[in-house]
Formats: sequence, C-alpha cells, structure tokens
Amino acid sequence: MKDKMTIILFSGEMDKAIAAFTLATTAASSGMDVTIFFTFWGLNIIKKTRFTIAKPQMLMQKMFNIMSTSKLPISKLDFFGLGPWMMRKLMKKSKMASLEDLMKLAKELKVKYIACTTSCGVLGLSKGNLIDDVSEFAGAMTYLAEAKESKINLFI
Amino acid sequence: MTPDRTLDCVGLFCPMPIIKTKQEMDTMKTGEVLEILADDPGFEKDLPEWCKATGQKLIEIKKEGGLLKGYITKTK
Repeated sequence: MKDKMTIILFSGEMDKAIAAFTLATTAASSGMDVTIFFTFWGLNIIKKTRFTIAKPQMLMQKMFNIMSTSKLPISKLDFFGLGPWMMRKLMKKSKMASLEDLMKLAKELKVKYIACTTSCGVLGLSKGNLIDDVSEFAGAMTYLAEAKESKINLFI
Repeated sequence: MTPDRTLDCVGLFCPMPIIKTKQEMDTMKTGEVLEILADDPGFEKDLPEWCKATGQKLIEIKKEGGLLKGYITKTK
C-alpha cells in the first residue's frame, strides 16, 4: 500500500495555502496518496468565484464570502491587499510557482480534495460554489478515517 | 555517461524541480538516464531523498559553481 499524507487546510491565506500545496504536490510526486481536507477559511481556496452568493444566503454569510483564490490575503503584512499584490509580483519575478500553478499540478497528481460540510453550512456554500476538483463532501469522521492510515498529517 | 534526456530546471524553485523530475520520469523507459540541471540549492538534498522515496536510482549529483547536475536512472 502507498504511503499517505493528509492535510487539514483551515487557513484562507495565500502564503499558507502555497505552503500546503507545495508539500501536497511534492508528496504526490514522490508516490504518496495525498488528501486535503478543506475547512473554515480554507474553503475560500476552492471557491469558484469571489462574492459567492448562493441561493438562501444570509447577509452575514455573504460578508464572510468575499474572498476566493484570486484574492486571498497573506498572513503577515497584508496592507489591505497591497501585500498579496507585491508577493505575487516577487514570486513571478523569481519564477516561483503561484498558488494557481500548484493547484493545477495538484490536480494532475491526483491530490484528493474533501470539503467540510459543516463549514459549508455555516458559510452558506453548496456544492456548486466550489471547484469541480472537490471529490467528496464529508465530516470529521471521514477525515479521521483518512488521517488514521496516514503517515504525515498537517494542520495549516 | 551520456544521459538519454536532459531536464532544465534552472531558475525554478522548490517544489518545481522535483515535480518536473517526476513528470519527466513518468514518460521515460526503465533503464534510461535522466540528467537534471537546477540551481535551487535545496535540490542537492531533495533529489537524493526523492530517489529514496520512489525507489529510483541516483547515480550522482554534482555541483559546478552554482549549478547542480543530477543523474538518475529509471528503475521501474
């Protein structure tokens, strides 16, 4: 059986997501099965669009849904969006892979995505609001079952 | 030794050289030798670890100034 790695992606910041996807793609490239469990702010990374407005969404849910992959903040020195813009420029200049590049690779390398249904419920997100790469919608028990058999487990 | 293929990863940072190495090896035949050129210093340690994890054979990794040259054989 293949070695396994599981990641809980709780954060919705670009820099943390890049760290998670760097490890996920590297693990998948070295022959491991990788599962990422997206919960809370991590769901912003796998949303199709910003300002995700699902049918019966409350105002507060709408307010929590203003971020998506293309507009994620960074965890330090965000400066209301100036930080991420500068970070992207620097990364492009130094030929570092962007979050979008890494996510594309993750898909090619068959990294598995699970979205937390509880968080989806709180934030008013449904299946259609998330990218098609999400293969499962599940809860803590499913994550635990995956994590139990995995050698590496990270909370990011 | 003459490699069957050369993969140029100069200018790329982790994790790209490892991912590109994997993708290139996927398209190669058993017994073929891949030469990888890289200048991310971390690659010197990462390539041997990748070979250990995947069971591919590391022939050598050498440093020529700031340039790293890795040679690996596809074993499976």
